[in-house]
Amino acid sequence: MKVALSWLKEFVPIESNVAELSRRLSVAGLEVEKVERIAPAFVGVVVGKVLKVERHPDAERLNLCEVEAGSGERFHVVCGAPNVTAGMIAPFARVGARLGGKADGAGGNGGNLEAVAPLEAAVIRGVRSEGMLCSERELGFSDDHAGIMSLDRDAPLGTDLTTYLGIEDTVLDIAITPNRGDCLSILGVAREIAALFDLKLKLPKLDPSKLKPVASNGEGAMSPTVELIAADLCPRYAALAMNGIRIGISPLWIRRRLALCGMRPLNNVVDVTNYVMLELGQPLHAFDFAKLDGGKIVVRRAGDDREFVTLDQSSRKLEPSDLVIADQQKPLAIAGIMGGLNSEVSDSTSSILLESAYFDPITIARTGRRLGLRSEASYRFERGVDRAGQVAALVRAAELIKKTAHGREGAPLIDVQPEAAQRSEIELDLARLRALLGVELQPGEVKRRLQSLGMTVTGGKKKFVVVPPSFRPDVKEFADLAEEVARVNGLEEVPSAMPPRPGGAPAQDQRRNFIRLSRELMLGCGLTEVKTLAFASPQDNRVFPGLIVAPAAVVTNPLSAELSELRQSLIPGLIAALRFNLNRQADAFHAFEIGKVFFGGDSGVLEGYRLAGLGYGQTVFGGIGQPGINAGFFTMKGVLETYFEALGFTKQVEFTRADAESVSYLHPGKAAAINLEGQRLGYVGELHPEEALRLEIGNDCVLFELDFAYLIAYRPRFAAVAAPPRFPAVRRDMALVLDHDVPAKSALDAVTRIEAPLLESVELFDAYEGGSVPTGKKSLAIACRYRAKDRTLTDEEVNRAHAKVVEQTLRSLGAELRK
Amino acid sequence: MKDQLEEIRRQALTELGDDAGPEQIENVRVRVLGRSGELTTILRGMNQVPVADRPEIGRMVNQIKGELEARIEELQNRLSRAELERSLREERLDVTLPGVRVPRGRLHPITRTEQRMLDILVGLGFEVAVTPDVEDDFHNFGALNFPPDHPAREMQDTFFLGGGQLLRTHTSNGQIRVMEHRKPPLAVVCPGNCYRPDELSVRYSPMFTQIEGFMVDRAGAVTMAHLKGALSEFVREIFGADTKVRFRASFFPFTEPSAELDINCIFCGGAGCRVCKTTGWIEILGSGMIHPNVLRAVGCDPEQYQGFAFGIGVERVAQLTLGVDDMRLFFENDLRFLNQF
Repeated sequence: MKVALSWLKEFVPIESNVAELSRRLSVAGLEVEKVERIAPAFVGVVVGKVLKVERHPDAERLNLCEVEAGSGERFHVVCGAPNVTAGMIAPFARVGARLGGKADGAGGNGGNLEAVAPLEAAVIRGVRSEGMLCSERELGFSDDHAGIMSLDRDAPLGTDLTTYLGIEDTVLDIAITPNRGDCLSILGVAREIAALFDLKLKLPKLDPSKLKPVASNGEGAMSPTVELIAADLCPRYAALAMNGIRIGISPLWIRRRLALCGMRPLNNVVDVTNYVMLELGQPLHAFDFAKLDGGKIVVRRAGDDREFVTLDQSSRKLEPSDLVIADQQKPLAIAGIMGGLNSEVSDSTSSILLESAYFDPITIARTGRRLGLRSEASYRFERGVDRAGQVAALVRAAELIKKTAHGREGAPLIDVQPEAAQRSEIELDLARLRALLGVELQPGEVKRRLQSLGMTVTGGKKKFVVVPPSFRPDVKEFADLAEEVARVNGLEEVPSAMPPRPGGAPAQDQRRNFIRLSRELMLGCGLTEVKTLAFASPQDNRVFPGLIVAPAAVVTNPLSAELSELRQSLIPGLIAALRFNLNRQADAFHAFEIGKVFFGGDSGVLEGYRLAGLGYGQTVFGGIGQPGINAGFFTMKGVLETYFEALGFTKQVEFTRADAESVSYLHPGKAAAINLEGQRLGYVGELHPEEALRLEIGNDCVLFELDFAYLIAYRPRFAAVAAPPRFPAVRRDMALVLDHDVPAKSALDAVTRIEAPLLESVELFDAYEGGSVPTGKKSLAIACRYRAKDRTLTDEEVNRAHAKVVEQTLRSLGAELRK
Repeated sequence: MKDQLEEIRRQALTELGDDAGPEQIENVRVRVLGRSGELTTILRGMNQVPVADRPEIGRMVNQIKGELEARIEELQNRLSRAELERSLREERLDVTLPGVRVPRGRLHPITRTEQRMLDILVGLGFEVAVTPDVEDDFHNFGALNFPPDHPAREMQDTFFLGGGQLLRTHTSNGQIRVMEHRKPPLAVVCPGNCYRPDELSVRYSPMFTQIEGFMVDRAGAVTMAHLKGALSEFVREIFGADTKVRFRASFFPFTEPSAELDINCIFCGGAGCRVCKTTGWIEILGSGMIHPNVLRAVGCDPEQYQGFAFGIGVERVAQLTLGVDDMRLFFENDLRFLNQF
């Protein structure tokens, strides 16, 4: 909401400077977003009087004028304007004046005046001209260049035009929160300022008895009627008929104020309706009375009327429940939003009906939103206008129209209000106020603050009964009053205190600690954390279905097809991040993400929590001149083994061969399922070559995804800590040759299962194929460690034990020893 | 025999001169002291020696043996010291070559910022709760006192999922999710992702991160003064102890009174710049005393209980503290950006 300081000052005697005014308004909830200084687009222009007009001897279209500009000085000016006449008062640019001519209607900003060449005396067709009479366009007031601008007869000659017209001004652009419809007006903002600075608000005297309608049988008498059918959507409808109207351009001061507040001037009737709306906050609408069938207004729902052409010449589709203003035959306006082309005030209009009503905010908002149609009027109606402000606005409009458009009241004011508005009483307990705000306030102070906002306050020392004014529908209960007091008193006045700890010591947040530990372990394993959007394309979800088989959650109103579903897996996001970096010359990318995934459709979306990672390119740097290690199945498996070991899960986690169907995006031979105590925890594997081709990923790319919620919830059984052994261990190796398809894990398990009391641990240290190992076979080298708790073993004891282990291993695996 | 021994000794010591090389030393050792060396041979031939001379000869052999062994050791020590000195003189690394790097991942700046914020809040007595991203109208709007026709419920402001489900537009649903199951006193913060239909751009992202916090207790126990105290402390911990803080009255459906918290612009120090739109202040968070209707919605009597709530954007704090002005950087995962953390 833009407000001109000069306009505000008509309602409240502001003394503070603009910076202080802006600060106080902002802190009180009316945030001043911008302060604009308005300066004229000219300098050196004064009020002049045309004394004499003569035809130029050598040019038919030019006149020779004699102009007086105060202090008796006379100037000879050549003027081409057709409207120049003797006796006219007009802006006169003296020699040396600068005209910027910025036609923004608001008087320009004068910012570029320095660069403008000053006006010089000139000889025009042989006659010397000592200055210039100016049009509105030349002064930057409007586009009007048809003739020179005419000023009021009583304008003091020689006065600087900037001073005379009061052009220098300041415009505050204030962000009005949606609850404060009452501040969408000069009066509303002035009221806030008065309350904040303890100033007296000058309320306009707008008494309907000031209206002087012609007698019903007199000349120009009109007989409008109003029928209020949809009183539930329009509890009050006031109207005033006026005639004798002469449509024309508004006086400069009205046009300027409209422009300063961001509205475009149209004609003297429409401008007045807008002016009153800006000033008092009540939107008005003017109908051309001649177009009203039967001179009657009917306020009703649209019903069977399905189509309507609004002022902007667009055809609008109506719903039966929309509120319209109609005559006997047809809709004339979509109530509170926009008038119709069929009853628009035009240049030939001579009688009007002014509408001033209260419309139901929700109805206006709903219809406006559906039609995608917003106006200054609907903006105010949606937020709730003063429930009791309709008649005053009509009085103000009539006053202005009489002054600017020659109108007169054609009939008595009509005011239909089936039921008076309810005024609610709110109890304000001062002890509760203190308990909420944490500040001690004097009852007198509270009362004064509330009264300054227009509230009626009665009652005694401990409790007040407060009746909010009709323009504050947002004030409904105690908390609202508390806000008003805190706000106007100044939030600075509320002290600052550290809160108690209601919950005592904060709960040990194991979940958070676990997540943090997981992140740190991933970082330590060389993976960088990424954050990707939770949206996915249908193809992403089809190719990377995640750990659960379920339909995807579909967004009803997606930003694009690429983002039309919610992700079921973190993997597509990781791959997208990889591709983004590959496109920017990265040659390696090792990343992880912890985030939510989503499953299920309309019947209920389930959220899952995942930890996923991706490795691509060199993962371990070998040093200068040494080969590094590229990401592959085993590098990522190593990351996971390190992770599980750090969590203390090593014994409970098992990697088994993944079945290709459930992870079709992985290489069928280079993928493993990860199980935690028999439960599927996730997968690790290299990206399927076909997918890599489709996604234009050149090298091996290894991925994993884990059910993170399951990991968080899992608590491994506590493993007792063992003291380091006191006696040395003895190692014996065996190299087995067995079938290629026997997993290393099975071989190790077979050895581990052997009952040999001295056998402490079994470890694989080499795997080998080819060479002396026959085709279809492989060789596994296994280290067995023997130890006794109570003594150092002898060679003989170890040899005996190992021979038994080897013999049983060969038998149970059907293996041979490697020669 | 004695002469012979003396000759062996003399010959050996001559060969074991100060300039003897490792080969020569080894030759002498093998020839004289070796398994079939000269001294060993003499010892073996002792039965040829008259009995009376035997002790004398034996003593001499051992003495020579000891002497030569000591000399050999001395020479070897000298040699190895020379070798060490040579290698210390010659082995020189180019210490400016890069080291063998251990891979290190980087924490995402949003996580980093969020962790820091949560740590401060936990220190202030809040516990952390996790609440759903997929919500219904009640938990995201209705219970938070959004009127039925509030524009936030429109398609252009909220992602819908069908079946009355939607993606939460703020983490304020956390208030409802926690309070509908637990009674005050409560001090809880709810971090998480929020969603609004804005294209990813310099200023907006369809997904962003917020932390909602609230503290509720009996009427009078948690006041607006506590709101100011806790949030001022929180903000000063993040932006520095000398940060200027101001509370500005505002409007949110779910708080009354409502206040936005501004800090003095960290870019211009309050003088006015592009970031603070020349006001000298930067808006940091929204807050207020929980609206009575919100308490009613979770079955909490506003006559008996009250509290404050606040919501803060993690990206905004990250942008300000890290000096990042492009929202896209947080979600594109460009390594050239992430590797700076």
